[in-house]
Amino acid sequence: MKRYALRQIAQLAVVIVGISMLAFAILHVIGDPVTLLLPQNAGKEEYARYYKLLGLDQPIYVQYWKFASRAVQGDFGKSWYTDTPAFKLVMERMPPTLYLTTAGLGMALLISLPLGIVAALKRHSFVDNLCTMGAVMGQAMPIFWLGIMLIIIFAVRLKALPASGYGTWQHFLMPAFTLGAFLAPITMRLVRSGVIEVMNMEYIKTARAKGVAEWRVVVKHAFRNACIPVITVLGLQFGQLLGGAIVTETVFAWPGVATLTVDSIRNQDFPVVQCAVVLLALIIVSINFVVDMIVGYIDPRIRVGA
Amino acid sequence: MRRLLVASLALLFAVGLGLVPPASAQTREETLIYSLQSDVDNWDPPNSVLREAIILGYHVFDHLAVRDLKTRRVIPNLATSWKAVDDTTWEVKLRQGVKFHDGTPFTAKDVKATFDRVLNPANKMTARGNHAKIKAVEIVDDHTVRFKTDGPYPLFVERLTAQVMQSDKVIREKGHEWMQENPIGTGPYKLVKWSRKQEHLLVRNDDYWGPKPAFKYVRIRIIPEKATEIAELLSGGVDIIKAVPPDQMDVINKSGGARTATSPILRTAMLQLDQAARSGPNPFTDVRVRRAANLAVDSDAIIKHVLNGLGDRVATGINPMAFGWDANLKPYKQDIAQAKKLLADAGFPNGVDITFNEGPPIVEPAIQQTNDAIVADMTKAGFRVKRNYIGDNTVLVARIKDGKGGPMFNWSWGYYSVFDADAILYDVFKCGENYSYYCNPALDDLISQGRSTLDAKRRAEIYVKAQKLLFDDAAYLYKWGLRGVWGISNRVEYQAPADEVDRMFTVTPRKK
Repeated sequence: MKRYALRQIAQLAVVIVGISMLAFAILHVIGDPVTLLLPQNAGKEEYARYYKLLGLDQPIYVQYWKFASRAVQGDFGKSWYTDTPAFKLVMERMPPTLYLTTAGLGMALLISLPLGIVAALKRHSFVDNLCTMGAVMGQAMPIFWLGIMLIIIFAVRLKALPASGYGTWQHFLMPAFTLGAFLAPITMRLVRSGVIEVMNMEYIKTARAKGVAEWRVVVKHAFRNACIPVITVLGLQFGQLLGGAIVTETVFAWPGVATLTVDSIRNQDFPVVQCAVVLLALIIVSINFVVDMIVGYIDPRIRVGA
Repeated sequence: MRRLLVASLALLFAVGLGLVPPASAQTREETLIYSLQSDVDNWDPPNSVLREAIILGYHVFDHLAVRDLKTRRVIPNLATSWKAVDDTTWEVKLRQGVKFHDGTPFTAKDVKATFDRVLNPANKMTARGNHAKIKAVEIVDDHTVRFKTDGPYPLFVERLTAQVMQSDKVIREKGHEWMQENPIGTGPYKLVKWSRKQEHLLVRNDDYWGPKPAFKYVRIRIIPEKATEIAELLSGGVDIIKAVPPDQMDVINKSGGARTATSPILRTAMLQLDQAARSGPNPFTDVRVRRAANLAVDSDAIIKHVLNGLGDRVATGINPMAFGWDANLKPYKQDIAQAKKLLADAGFPNGVDITFNEGPPIVEPAIQQTNDAIVADMTKAGFRVKRNYIGDNTVLVARIKDGKGGPMFNWSWGYYSVFDADAILYDVFKCGENYSYYCNPALDDLISQGRSTLDAKRRAEIYVKAQKLLFDDAAYLYKWGLRGVWGISNRVEYQAPADEVDRMFTVTPRKK
């Protein structure tokens, strides 16, 4: 297990360096940053001054080294738009997004695990068909539309929940459900097919032959093995979840980092974009690391095979 | 391993819980909630171009002069009077007994420090252009200041409504960086907390020199999505919203919990035509083609049927509410036959191809629907319009500024809330200005004449001439003056403002 973990960490380091290079490249791919920064009527002298100020006169590897060494200390420079440190802006907005995506993930599991298992055990029954139909509908439903519908029903008609905003637990319910509904269908289908596959295995027959109670067979023997692809896919889907968070945050006026990133791209506020890209990528990479560790833990074949 | 997993999950959960801010302590009864679609970039109004910054600035700061919304005239505020001593000197008397939120009294020193900070080119303040005609501010005594101007400056008093008064002490001791997030003004409200892109919490300034606001707290929430904003209004989560789309007015009015109010606003919409060929050679450099475009479109019908009457037809870009507007100049009337003939005369008997850069519905209500109608009308006259939708306003504005807007694009102008013809002529019609695609030395001459006299009658005559010229030369495709639509909760009374500056301190609870 230790060797497996070390190998994963080495891979992680390579990925992180790669991401930092990409983030660094953003500024250079879009053209000349000085032209973007300065007003149109700026003179040649001012241009030269800024060019030097930003260190653009130095070789590219020196520039990257400076960027990377500052980034490690959490210094991504100041936002060009609001004049505040980019790191501060991003960190202010990070918790709401992490909390939303975690809640969305939780909601997705809450919906998909029981339904997936039931659908698998009662294969081709009415319940299974109903679940499949629900999954197709859920997958086809745009997040945006679902969010607005929930608001109309629960806030405007029933006046049971606040329509938008951030602060109390009531504020979490609709956004988490919206985001969860986006992830639940694919997870449910995976759980279903996983459980179906496992239920035909010899070791299930063995367990039953030993006289193990049926619920124990399902939960302990079948579900645990069916979990492996589900966990892997959930890890991979986390990036997708952040994509879904952009729309969810917009609809529910949720002050998260996903909308901040999109706004900053629109405003061409590159220090903030760089900082957000690096930090979000770090989170996705760490989650995938955790997923790899969990999967390795559950299934010894994987850690040995690697 | 298992223990490690459980522990890390528990930690994640605990951290998450800790990050949820506690519920606010104000009661709903004493709180007024207003929403905006996007947040300000800072709390230093002269350092921002955003409309939202102007609005927030009115709550925490005061201006030397303000607009009386009933008469639309500029009246004294932190100033008590002003007079032109000579052609290049204005003398302003200041109100006594006014205090900043930190307790320091407001005096002539603060006025000088405010303008010195804005006018110093090294500070790169956004508002500098608005006051560039001011050469120096001199302190006469504690409550009298003199403004020296570079030539006669007829817009001096109007522009006073666009400059918040900041504190000399704060500017000296706290400095620029601190001021970006910490506003110290003399206004009716104080800032308690700003959660960026989420909300601003204001509390009433009980030492305010003017009328006390009715609500103790104002929460200004940032809600980017219009549908959510309307849902909040209907469910009682927000009291006042602005820029309601015309097709949503019925929903609000029939809800029983809220209503809409409309007001003409100081903003004129048009399609700019690239007469100046900033984006390269194009058919609109020929006046006949520009006239044909104006004759092709039935704007009256569009206002009536598409905008539910929410528009005021104009003959040029000058808004009916602006000083200098010529009521006698009649707008173009649709005449397809004449438009076709003009196109043929200009060398396009078989029609002409035009690219149209369209903008998103940020400031102009129902812009897509009105664009559909305009394009349909132009097609009848022989224009083959290729539509190019640019969904992001920032990108559109940047392209226009760069001279890449032509040959035809959506544009509207809010006059920086200065009710004067000059505030649109200079920025949108003068040769070589950032947002102008028109260039005519005869007009430039009239613009500078209008700027160089304090005589209102003489200025009005000059602007009549300018409008005649713009109409005859069909500089752009003229549309209409906009009307704003507000959504107002039935728990409050509020008068929709013509200058697009919402003032929460004028809102009162509705009598039951």
